[in-house]
This record gives sequence, structure tokens and C-alpha cells, in this order.
Amino acid sequence: MTKITIDIKRRILIKKSLSASTIAMVATSGLLLPQRVLAHWPTKAFNAETVEDVLLALLGKANISSSEKLNFSVGKPAKRIANGGSVSVEINSELENIERFAILVDNNPFPLVMSMDFSPDVLLPLKTRIKLIKGKSQVIAVVRAGGKLYLTKRDVRVDTGGDI
Amino acid sequence: MMIKAEDRIRATVRADNTHIRLLLAHPMHSGRQLNKDNMLVNAEFIQDIRCWRNDNEVLVIKCGSGTSQNPYFSFELAGGQVGDTIAIRWVDNTGAKGDMEAIVDS
Repeated sequence: MTKITIDIKRRILIKKSLSASTIAMVATSGLLLPQRVLAHWPTKAFNAETVEDVLLALLGKANISSSEKLNFSVGKPAKRIANGGSVSVEINSELENIERFAILVDNNPFPLVMSMDFSPDVLLPLKTRIKLIKGKSQVIAVVRAGGKLYLTKRDVRVDTGGDI
Repeated sequence: MMIKAEDRIRATVRADNTHIRLLLAHPMHSGRQLNKDNMLVNAEFIQDIRCWRNDNEVLVIKCGSGTSQNPYFSFELAGGQVGDTIAIRWVDNTGAKGDMEAIVDS
């Protein structure tokens, strides 16, 4: 008799602890995370597979002026890059009111590497590091300033590709 | 094995402007790499980095998987003085988050 009651109690205990642990699991697994934060990520632009699609999704339809006003350098030394896993990139420009800046690599599986939204406080030069795939590719910098798009390209060759 | 490394911010005043360098500790797995056993490594990369100066949002960076491991950024902010607070927050595609604050040095 006593054994049965203990058994029942044990079952209730197991049941209760199970439901408590599932709630804890759901809470920590990220299902209840504020989706708002993640939703700001421009999925369409990052998942686009051609440079044209990225530009359209990220910056809309606009006339692109291939510009001498952007001073863009890729790699040290430039042209021939040994390690594609971490390639330094620097952008500088005399342009004012820069709103958005994006880096694209045409041969990467997904061309868009990063996109930045500047407040008026941000000044160039800006340096960062990107991954490049093995072989030849073009690194593209796009700047939107005062409603206009400026685009410049650099050809690079990479000996060992990054894990893209 | 987790890599024990910390996000780092260096902020200094240089010729009246604030010069900021960020180094985030993150593997930035694209989801298309293979590990030693020829298994795909799950995608894990930072998607969103935000930078504040004294409660004003100054820079928003959206990253894709083409951003290098341990992302690095260096840029300048107009004006600013020693003692300003520079804060960053990041979120990756799995929902992991990080934040960090630094005071501007001379």
C-alpha cells in the first residue's frame, strides 16, 4: 500500500518537474526572444545571389555613378592576397552626408558582406575585415550619399580562400 | 571547445575626433564550412552590431557571413571628448547577444 502511494507521488513529481523543465527549455532556446531585433536584418539583400539583386534590395533603383570620389583599398598588399579568411578593407571619401555603405564580393556565394547605416557623426576612413573566396573576384564598395549612389570596384586574387 | 575571448573597444580622442576600434570575439561560421569529420558546422554569425555614444546611436552595422572571423571595425566620430561612453551591442543569427562599454581615453 505504502509503495503505491509513493509511486503515485513520484509520478506527480516527475510530471511537475518535466513541465517546469520544458518551460525553462523553451525560455532559454530563443523562441521567446524579441523577434524585433532580428527582423531588422535585411534578409532579402543578404540572401541575394547576384550583385544586381543585392543592390536592388539594399539601395533600391537609382542611377549608379561609378565614382572617383571613393578611395577604396582591399588587402595589404593589394592585388595579391595570401589569406582570404581575413582581408583588410579600407574606405575613405570626401563625400558628405553618407547614409549607407555596403561591401560586396561578386564571387562569394552571397555577395553582400556587410551594410552600414551611418549617423551624421560618423567620419571616414573606415576599416574592417572581410572573407574572400579563392581565386579572382571583385570587391565592390557602394556608398549612398545625398540620395546618390557611388560605386567602385577592385580586382583581387586570393591564394587561400576563407571559409565562406 | 569555446574560445575564451572578449570583445574589445578602444576609443581615443585624436585631433578633436573620437577614434574607435572594435574587435568582437566571434567565430562567424557561415554554415557552409566542414569540420574535421566532414560535417557541416552550424551557421553562427553576427548579424547586427549597434554602436552608441552617450545614448545616441551613431552606427548600425548589418553583417553577413562574409564578414571575417572576429570582426574588426575602425572608424571616427566627429567631436567628442575624453570621458564619453561608447557602447556596443551585437546579436547573432542564433539569438546570442553581447554588449560592451568603454570610456573614451585621451
